[in-house]
Amino acid sequence: MSTDNPAGSPRPFDAKMVEYLVGLMAQHDLSEIDLHEGEHRIRLRRGQPAPALVPAGYPVVAPPAAQPAAPTAAAAPAAAPAAEPAKARPGLVEIKSPMVGTFYSKPAPDKPDYVSVGARVKPDTVVCKVEAMKIFNDLTADCTGTVAEVCVKNGQPVDFGTVLFRVEPS
Amino acid sequence: MFQRILVANRGEIALRVIRACRDLGVEVAVVYSEADRGAPYLALADQAVCIGPGPAAESYLKIDRIIAAAEIANAQAIHPGYGFLSENAHFAHICRECKIEFIGPPEEAMGAIGNKDRAKQVAKKAKVPTVPGSDGLITSDEDALKFAHQVGYPVLIKAAAGGGGRGMRPARNDNSLISGLAAARQEAEAAFKDGSVFLEKYLEQPRHIEVQLLGDKHGNVVHLYERDCSLQRRHQKLVEESPAPNLPEKVRDAICDAAVRLAKAAGYYSAGTCEFLVDKDNNFYFIEVNARIQVEHPVTELVTGVDLIKEQIRVAAGEKLRFKQKDIVQRGAAIECRINAEDPTKDFRPSAGTITKWQPPGGQGVRLDTHVVPGYRVPPNYDSMVAKLLVYQPTRAEAIATMRRALREFVVEGIATTIPIHQEIMNTAEFSNGTVDTTFIERTLLRAPGK
Repeated sequence: MSTDNPAGSPRPFDAKMVEYLVGLMAQHDLSEIDLHEGEHRIRLRRGQPAPALVPAGYPVVAPPAAQPAAPTAAAAPAAAPAAEPAKARPGLVEIKSPMVGTFYSKPAPDKPDYVSVGARVKPDTVVCKVEAMKIFNDLTADCTGTVAEVCVKNGQPVDFGTVLFRVEPS
Repeated sequence: MFQRILVANRGEIALRVIRACRDLGVEVAVVYSEADRGAPYLALADQAVCIGPGPAAESYLKIDRIIAAAEIANAQAIHPGYGFLSENAHFAHICRECKIEFIGPPEEAMGAIGNKDRAKQVAKKAKVPTVPGSDGLITSDEDALKFAHQVGYPVLIKAAAGGGGRGMRPARNDNSLISGLAAARQEAEAAFKDGSVFLEKYLEQPRHIEVQLLGDKHGNVVHLYERDCSLQRRHQKLVEESPAPNLPEKVRDAICDAAVRLAKAAGYYSAGTCEFLVDKDNNFYFIEVNARIQVEHPVTELVTGVDLIKEQIRVAAGEKLRFKQKDIVQRGAAIECRINAEDPTKDFRPSAGTITKWQPPGGQGVRLDTHVVPGYRVPPNYDSMVAKLLVYQPTRAEAIATMRRALREFVVEGIATTIPIHQEIMNTAEFSNGTVDTTFIERTLLRAPGK
């Protein structure tokens, strides 16, 4: 994780520092940071101000604290974006989870993924498994096209309605 | 104590349980349907899991998704709230199979008293008086007539699988009894998938008095005194209070002791409520047990100082009750008004929509249990309760005065609410004198609905 300083010792109201911080927040998916240096303070918040939900299973990442004025990163669950974190390109078909459970992108740990970006799918193509109560359910694409995005990670818990894949229809 | 609890419910009771978990220092996850997405109370939990679309049958009643939610949230226990799956013995069973603690009574006790007919048998065993009724289910018109002539009309035809005031119809003579039986069987089959019926003596203008119970897994059961829930409309409670006004001390004690006897006979633990009807001569009769925490539980919390949800969680975690019966003291008077998103001027038609103004009451002696905030959109898929407004004062007269004040302070715009009907109730002489019964609302107030 790169924590290189801009030249000199940046002060909170330095535009370069703000730019840097914004990039840091995006990189680590932080929703809020609050820095104090002496009597200076800068606080940045990203996303909706109204309370929203941490989508189940999204890990909350804390950044490495390497600066002398150690940034206090408050990844407030309340400020995480609500429904779809990734911007959906219009025209893409979303494959959503019809159940609650754990998502598996591959049939077994030592096997390759069912599908990845670029894979062609048909309605009956198995794209993943979701496990709940020790029962594994194969999920099918239910559409025809090419996988444009894989939205969740192997082993990630998913809710009803969580977007798993986005497919470019054809 | 549990590391994390999953709340398998929504709205104000979900928020209530979330708060109790926080007070105990226990992590809490909560489920939600797509109709409840974005509801502000969800953000107060550590984790929220979407379990399906709006309709309850596809979300809050989906056992497999709720269990899966508990798994991915790493919850060791599930609190079912009230309604939904809270009295579903099958759900309690599945939880146990999946090694998840169901915060409620054991499934065996649920089975013993969940069915009204079986509950009556447990009551008889515990020497708890029951409404004179048919000995078991009625299977022929001859038996029905024989019973009715024995106890005298009017009688009440009840669905064995009914509950919450549903599946009951009175009969005042032989003709209406026979035709009523056929209709009742049909309705029960459709509503509860069980057409079996039994008969009871129909008590005219009774009071509804219920006793709050709390038991642990070590066989200890205490009561937390009674609540009077006589103010009902179509068998749905509108107002509840504790203590029950004008109830002689001896009768109160007898009812409460009877409730504890019954709970012990059923092997009951966790929170539950034993319901009785009390006639004009203060004879009391057991009618049913609600094997769950109830909507009106805060009334008891206010007069006893006991946090019932926290105690449910402690009991589920295996702790012994920290109090004996003599430690439970009933003090002061509490009243609850259920505020529903319904229009009293239009036959209480549900009023879904967005709340544009929400100015809740407060101050000394006022407690408001609600998940609603300004701008909240009341979803059409569920019951219409938006808030429980409670007051607590040293005397009943002061409690009524505070409720009048609180109702007046409470401004809600964007939806219709039952606030006006509560204001009317609080202004009646009958309520002030404590002489209302279960027929009062329909007999008097609803002649001229609204203002």
